Amino acid sequence: MALLEVNDLRTHFFTREGTVRAVDGVSFAVEKGRTLGIVGESGCGKSVTALSIMGLIPKPPAKIVSGSVVYDGQNLTSLSERKLEDLRGRKIAMIFQDPMTSLNPTLTIGTQITETIRRHYDVPKSQARKKAIELLEEVRIPRASERLDDYPHRFSGGMRQRVMIAIALSCDPKLLIADEPTTALDVTVQASVLDLLDDLRTEHDMAMIIITHDMGVVAEAADDIIVMYAGQVVEHASTLDLFDRPEHPYTEALLGALPQIEGEGIREGRLTAIPGRPPDLIDPPQACRFGPRCPYAGDDSCTQQQPELRELRKGHWVRSAHPASERVGAARREGAPA
Amino acid sequence: MTITDAREALTAEPGASPASGAPIRQSNLWRDAWRRYVRNKAAVVAGTVFVVVLLYCLIAPIASPHDPDAVNFALSSQTPSLEHPFGTDKFGRDLFTRTALGGRVSILIGFGATIAILFIGVVYGAISGFVGGRIDNGLMRFLDALYGLPYLPFAIITLAIIGRTNTWTMMIALSIASWFTTARIVRGQVLTLKENDYVRAAKAVGARWYRILGRHLLPNTLGVLIIAIFLELPGVILGEAFLSFIGLGISPPDPSWGAMAQEGRTVFRSHPTAIIVPSIAIATLVLCANFVADGLRDALDPRTRES
Repeated sequence: MALLEVNDLRTHFFTREGTVRAVDGVSFAVEKGRTLGIVGESGCGKSVTALSIMGLIPKPPAKIVSGSVVYDGQNLTSLSERKLEDLRGRKIAMIFQDPMTSLNPTLTIGTQITETIRRHYDVPKSQARKKAIELLEEVRIPRASERLDDYPHRFSGGMRQRVMIAIALSCDPKLLIADEPTTALDVTVQASVLDLLDDLRTEHDMAMIIITHDMGVVAEAADDIIVMYAGQVVEHASTLDLFDRPEHPYTEALLGALPQIEGEGIREGRLTAIPGRPPDLIDPPQACRFGPRCPYAGDDSCTQQQPELRELRKGHWVRSAHPASERVGAARREGAPA
Repeated sequence: MTITDAREALTAEPGASPASGAPIRQSNLWRDAWRRYVRNKAAVVAGTVFVVVLLYCLIAPIASPHDPDAVNFALSSQTPSLEHPFGTDKFGRDLFTRTALGGRVSILIGFGATIAILFIGVVYGAISGFVGGRIDNGLMRFLDALYGLPYLPFAIITLAIIGRTNTWTMMIALSIASWFTTARIVRGQVLTLKENDYVRAAKAVGARWYRILGRHLLPNTLGVLIIAIFLELPGVILGEAFLSFIGLGISPPDPSWGAMAQEGRTVFRSHPTAIIVPSIAIATLVLCANFVADGLRDALDPRTRES
């Protein structure tokens, strides 16, 4: 059984303008010790999915209207707030996008780490402190024992994100959700933080969910990838398969929009952008949600009703009436079998 | 990897000594605040004067050879001299001793009422901001209704209802209609702080509501609260002085600065010292409190950059 199973999760925001279907029927599973990447553009429901798992969505206006989040056999959506609090940090931890604001400026980082440890474990302060130093060393902060009594404003962005990671790992969670962990960092620091996350995941035998809009990040870090569009999963495959043989037109377009430095088929000139905008999630189209922007949408079923998520080949799921391998003339595409 | 580490080590802290046997540099919120405070000259002077006034009020009545209540018409309305540094009032009582005694009453009422204001304001504001939703809405609309109450008339009415005028009833009267602003400030602070990323991060590692309120929200309002103390204090001291001056507060023979100014008013033309001394005392304390508030505001903001 998977460590985390999300089944048909629907999280809607009830606003004055109408019901925003931010997450609309998302299902996936995370196996023990594996890394799942969730990719998609802004507003596609990646973060809301993560917050729904943690039970941290702002209620009101948001509400999980249906579906379940099963962690280790326990349905989190029906758990009491108190039980959920005991679980957060201890079993599932989360790190956020902006390390500059995620630490309390009035507490030393030592206090912030030890308090988290003491929240979940009944240990004396001195022992929690020792553990905090170990954690800081583990996230590669130089002179950890001295830095423990420093306030957050004495740390750089990359170091603060490491401190956040140390706090998240302080109670040995089995699942770490990283919501855009490197977006606010500059590129050189990004790489080191990603390396660190991957090392720690192996050492602590954790499963990880990395949420990002950066294809490069998931390519490096994830075993499996989910591509989300307008609150739905549109493609779900192993990282290799997804990058080698993307099926959904949206995924193809995302990959096509990446700059390339080497390899065959180097494009010249401008990067290709995806025309149009994502649909309004208050009243999404009944038909395929990507339809209006899809170059392959014709006069067929996908303009009438929504395509289901189907398994095109083993482990490769796609929600489209026109996956790359079924298209007429698909053989013309480089490397794609008919 | 090593490049980024080296770079982060460089940006980490200026002036830090290398790891080899260097003493651990403790940095502490209060010590940092103190260092920033002493850099502000006006605030240091104001703070010193403030403390001197406090000490004067505490010590002078004990050390003075004069009985502050002893009437001696032979010494009536004297100008300042070595024997009586502030002169005497029309009953021949030593003003140096009486001003200190009046200061005790004024400052006691001032601090007492300010603490009461803060207490009510923090509890009311924190509940309103933290719980939010309908309860917040209800509490705030109630506050809006109370806001219409004018401060001094309400204090006068409260005193009339209680029927007795002493230090304690004055504190109640002066705080009962002046905590609204503090409550609003605290509510606003809690409301903004609640949306902070670090509150969400704390929730994400399982922090309970009381820890979030006590550890992440209220300490971050502390700076505002300490400033609020020194901003409310002058208002309350002035309010006390005003009430006593118009004869509704502390009444003779008990001295308070307002009551003394009222006594001095009757002999203003012939013997101005009697009104000038308590007036200067009030003005000094109020002015110092404002400067101290200003200095504290800069000192207590942890984001203030040290140059």
